[in-house]
Amino acid sequence: MSSESSKKRKPKVIRSDGAPAEGKRNRSDTEQEGKYYSEEAEVDLRDPGRDYELYKYTCQELQRLMAEIQDLKSRGGKDVAVEIEDRKIQSCVHFMTLKKLNRLAHIRLKKGRDQTHEAKQKVDAYHLQLQNLLYEVMHLQKEITKCLEFKSKHEEIDLVSLEEFYKEAPPDISKVEVTMGDPHQQTLARLDWELEQRKRLAEKYRECLSNKEKILKEIEVKKEYLSSLQPRLNSIMQASLPVQEYLFMPFDQAHKQYETARHLPPPLYVLFVQATAYGQACDKTLSVAIEGSVDEAKALFKPPEDSQDDESDSDAEEEQTTKRRRPTLGVQLDDKRKEMLKRHPLSVMLDLRCKDDSVLHLTFYYLMNLNIMTVKAKVTTATELVTPISAGDLLSPDSVLSCLYPGDHGKKTPNPANQYQFDKVGILTLRDYVLDLGHPYLWVQKLGGLHFPKEQPQHTVITDHSLSASHMETTMKLLKTRVQSRLALHKQFASLEHGIVPVTSDCQYLFPAKVVSRLVKWVTIAHEDYTELHFTKDIMEAGLAGDTNLYYMALVERGTAKLQAAVVLNPGYSSIPPIFQLCLNWKGEKTNNNDDNIRAMESEVNVCYKELCGHWPGHQLLTNQLQRLCVLLDVYLETESHDDSVEGPKEFPQEKMCLRLLRGPSRMKPFKYNHPQGFFSHR
Amino acid sequence: MERTMPQAVPLGQMEVFQALQRLHMIIFSQNVSPCGKFLAAGNNYGQIAIFSLSAALSSEAKEESKKPMVTFQAHDGPVYSMVSTDRHLLSAGDGEVKAWLWAEILKKGCKELWRRQPPYRTSLEVPEINALLLVPKENSLILAGGDCQLHTMDLETGTFTRALWGHTDYIHCLALRERSPEVLSGGEDGAVRLWDLRTAKEVQTIEVYKHEECSRPHNGRWIGCLATDSDWMVCGGGPALTLWHLRSSTPTTVFPMRAPQKHVTFYQDLVLTAAGNSCRVDVFTNLGYRAFSLSF
Repeated sequence: MSSESSKKRKPKVIRSDGAPAEGKRNRSDTEQEGKYYSEEAEVDLRDPGRDYELYKYTCQELQRLMAEIQDLKSRGGKDVAVEIEDRKIQSCVHFMTLKKLNRLAHIRLKKGRDQTHEAKQKVDAYHLQLQNLLYEVMHLQKEITKCLEFKSKHEEIDLVSLEEFYKEAPPDISKVEVTMGDPHQQTLARLDWELEQRKRLAEKYRECLSNKEKILKEIEVKKEYLSSLQPRLNSIMQASLPVQEYLFMPFDQAHKQYETARHLPPPLYVLFVQATAYGQACDKTLSVAIEGSVDEAKALFKPPEDSQDDESDSDAEEEQTTKRRRPTLGVQLDDKRKEMLKRHPLSVMLDLRCKDDSVLHLTFYYLMNLNIMTVKAKVTTATELVTPISAGDLLSPDSVLSCLYPGDHGKKTPNPANQYQFDKVGILTLRDYVLDLGHPYLWVQKLGGLHFPKEQPQHTVITDHSLSASHMETTMKLLKTRVQSRLALHKQFASLEHGIVPVTSDCQYLFPAKVVSRLVKWVTIAHEDYTELHFTKDIMEAGLAGDTNLYYMALVERGTAKLQAAVVLNPGYSSIPPIFQLCLNWKGEKTNNNDDNIRAMESEVNVCYKELCGHWPGHQLLTNQLQRLCVLLDVYLETESHDDSVEGPKEFPQEKMCLRLLRGPSRMKPFKYNHPQGFFSHR
Repeated sequence: MERTMPQAVPLGQMEVFQALQRLHMIIFSQNVSPCGKFLAAGNNYGQIAIFSLSAALSSEAKEESKKPMVTFQAHDGPVYSMVSTDRHLLSAGDGEVKAWLWAEILKKGCKELWRRQPPYRTSLEVPEINALLLVPKENSLILAGGDCQLHTMDLETGTFTRALWGHTDYIHCLALRERSPEVLSGGEDGAVRLWDLRTAKEVQTIEVYKHEECSRPHNGRWIGCLATDSDWMVCGGGPALTLWHLRSSTPTTVFPMRAPQKHVTFYQDLVLTAAGNSCRVDVFTNLGYRAFSLSF
């Protein structure tokens, strides 16, 4: 306690001790109020080194005192207490000093820190300033570069070149004196000029726009005027129809035809175009027309999606109905067949008029799924024809056009791809349907531009106009010759059935005046009957008697001699001659197998037919051949050498004038007739 | 033998005409070339076709080898007879005889070397030449045919030296009797006449039809074929095929054949004969019976 109190007192004492120091400090802090004791100020005055020394000394003293105290305490005694007390007081004083020194050290530290802090703060402030300045410098530099890089908009404008500017600009804008020296002024002037020009052009543009509007309006007006013209023209056309008919120039009709023609399928279209062209250019007797329903044709071209949907719907329906009704497989197949053989609703009709006013009507159809064309033919004559029995097949629609070109019998489909289609629906051959659908002759396909090459079967066959054109003329001519030859035969058959061989006057020179043998029978026979005959084997083996030919049997008689002649008539009559095979019944049966003379007679008629053709086109061939046959029979019978062993006169006295009866190693009779001398000789 | 009918091929006008021609063709004459490789055939249209025998008979023969190598129009009328010398082919038909070189005959557009026409009496109709006969010793050619005469032509000069007449109807065939030398001719008049070439006279006449053993009146009396072996002669036609002994002019054997014979030859001791209307070649020994027949 007493130490404490001494400590308490010490500070006061020290305060007072420090008065002179204080006084000095007061002098330095005259600004301050002199009454306050500032230890801080004292610190400034004291030397830290001396304080340190003081500290060391004080510590030593303390240690010494402590040691003395200890000694005293250990010695003990009464004096000791006073000395201890004394020393205690001294130690207390030393403690005081230490405390002060501690305070001073702290104060110094604090001051030092404060100073450092201040300095640091200053430095920081400078640093900041520096940074600010640097930043500003950078900023300014950037601004400067920006300014330097600044491009004014005016530089983007493509100004006219200087020379042009000076040439074109009016002087009050160009201000030559000013601008020449000063680029800034120059640029300004140029910009001015640019502005002027642009204003002017903008004016012009507005003017043009307004012009354009005006013109558009005019165009509209005219269009309306024209569109109102169309109905008026139509009415004029209608009105002119009677005039057209009067003048025989059916433009309107032709126009309508062309309209309909647009709906034709490609092969029929090709045929139509080529036939019309040919008719107009070369052959006035040919007329072309289109028949059938255009609406149905248009209906065929419905969009496929609809039809497919319909199909699938109808298929579903069909399935349901089949489950209910169970129709027979045959009916289903039948429907499929009908579908496959469907014809296009439009057809082309060609009418060929021949010299004697008989007309060949040809109707051409197109089978859509099979991609082939067929034709139906009909022959009408100016006068009603009485058909002789044997001429039944001559003009029948089924066979009148058979083999127009060799081998073209029209019973098989020319498109090889059809066979696969047929297999699906069970059609064996088109032959069964030919009567209904028409014949698919090869020339019909060619006229429609369809070509089915055998060597390279193609997936799609495209119609070809040139193919049609190249075949048109020949085919038309062949058709005409065919009709005319058939009609000629028709007439001739009528006469032949009555036993008269109609020889025209210009062919009379081929035969002698008197012909005794007569034709007594002329009938038509079937192909099978012909093949059964015993004397026709040679012709069969030579392949000349196919089932496309027509077969007839003629019977020539004289006295007891009967000559049977089997005739093969090729559809290509009269360019291909009829072929005769003979069988003579007189004193035994003689055919070409056992009698060379019969063979010679056949040769006279078959091989030497060219003399018998008569004038072109040779329709007299058959009748001349028959007449010659009668003459040959005459010669044969009359020149038969008399058999001396048999009694009685010759049945046929020789009336024909012959130079020699027999000639050559084969001992032939004289079958060749010589005109005008009228005798018979050998070839 | 059943034959299947061929498919009817589409025939144009040309093909039909050619088929008809072939159907009515008669081949009248044929001859083998001196080298033996070729066969010439003449038909009734006057054409001569040359076939290559070596190709057709070889083991690799195809259809084409059996077709003619060349065909040309030789005469206006039928080619009734052909003979061959060692270098020439002689063909005769309607009144003319033409010669062709065998060496040239295969070339296209072959032309005849020469053509001769014997002097005929009538001018109205040109008589045919039915038979040609070569007489090698004289180097001459004998022609006989429609004018009932035998003409002899010298092959070197081409002149007609002799005309032998005596037949009353046209002559069918000729045969040479080497030893004498004599020519035998058979004709439509039914007589076989023998002619001596040196004297140009008829030496012997055999009227075949007058002999009962061989005459067949229903066939006629004509002699179509002749062959001679110097002592013996075979002839036939209207009358039956008969073997005659020439010296005595008597028929010794009558061969029993129905059809009139068209061709006959002696071959060593056998007689080969073919009738035109059947498919058989009959072989007889001269004892009179038929040994066998070759048939098509």
